[in-house]
Amino acid sequence: MALLLRSMARPGFQVCRSQFGVLYRHAVPMGTTAKEEMNKFWDKNTRLNRPMSPHLTIYRWSIPMVMSITFRGTGVGLSGGISLFAVAAMVLPGNYPEYLDLIHSLSYGPQFLAFTKFALAFPVSYHTLNGIRHLAWDTGKGFKIPEVYRSGYVVCALSVLASIGLACL
Amino acid sequence: MASIVRLSSVCHRGVKPLFARNTILPRELLACRTLREKDCIQSSVQINASSSSSHSAASSKAASMHWTGERAVSVLLLGMAPAAYLYPGPAVDYAVAAALTLHGHWGIGQVLTDYVHGEAKIKLANASLYTLSMVTFAGLCYFNYKDVGICKAIAMLWSI
Repeated sequence: MALLLRSMARPGFQVCRSQFGVLYRHAVPMGTTAKEEMNKFWDKNTRLNRPMSPHLTIYRWSIPMVMSITFRGTGVGLSGGISLFAVAAMVLPGNYPEYLDLIHSLSYGPQFLAFTKFALAFPVSYHTLNGIRHLAWDTGKGFKIPEVYRSGYVVCALSVLASIGLACL
Repeated sequence: MASIVRLSSVCHRGVKPLFARNTILPRELLACRTLREKDCIQSSVQINASSSSSHSAASSKAASMHWTGERAVSVLLLGMAPAAYLYPGPAVDYAVAAALTLHGHWGIGQVLTDYVHGEAKIKLANASLYTLSMVTFAGLCYFNYKDVGICKAIAMLWSI
């Protein structure tokens, strides 16, 4: 009996001993920041010319995913449009009302105008409404998956309605 | 014949109890090992966290202030939409120009941070963004000053 217990205790002691050395090796403060680690990752992988694993082409698209990238797309698009407008304002000759008269003389009919207004209003209303959804998330609300989908549907529906409403003004 | 020993008597007293007369079951020894592992990992995690927070306390404050600034400008811009409709004029024109440019600058900045990698490329992208934003703000202010202004422009466009 005593022999049995002694034989159990000895391997136990050895295991505990090795644990101390192996695990305390982790107790060294990290010398790099997260940003540095990320840059190291990218530098190494581009240097070795490694191909990227398929991700967007194979992962199943979901409503939240599509809404998220559309939010980014509308943001970049609107920003680009505003910058284009600002550059045009400085570079092009003449003033704004003249250009409006030009458009007015070219117009193809009320449907075309309504459609153009809808096309301009939709990115603005979608980006604004989804932006409000984002701000709600920033307060910590609405993260449950059913809530994410529900708020997403509401944003999509309201965007379309708001754009139609604005196009009719 | 199994004698039950309290786990604490084995785990917190170091190696000595193993030689003591009170016996331990292999099961308790395993539990002690995992407990020790967790303690060690926890302490190493704490060391990691404390060292990173002590030398980067200043820079992490900047990031969170930037985040708050982004949300503040977003809310401000949201409020300017009804303001532009109800009180069009130079004040709202210039306020919209500033808020819109800043919101766009920070927004594109996040996009660049997400997709651009590599020291040189990041620097180039951010420098280009600064140039674009300054040109955009200059153009919008010029439009407000020399031309009809943002609020009036949208109103005129919509009544074509």
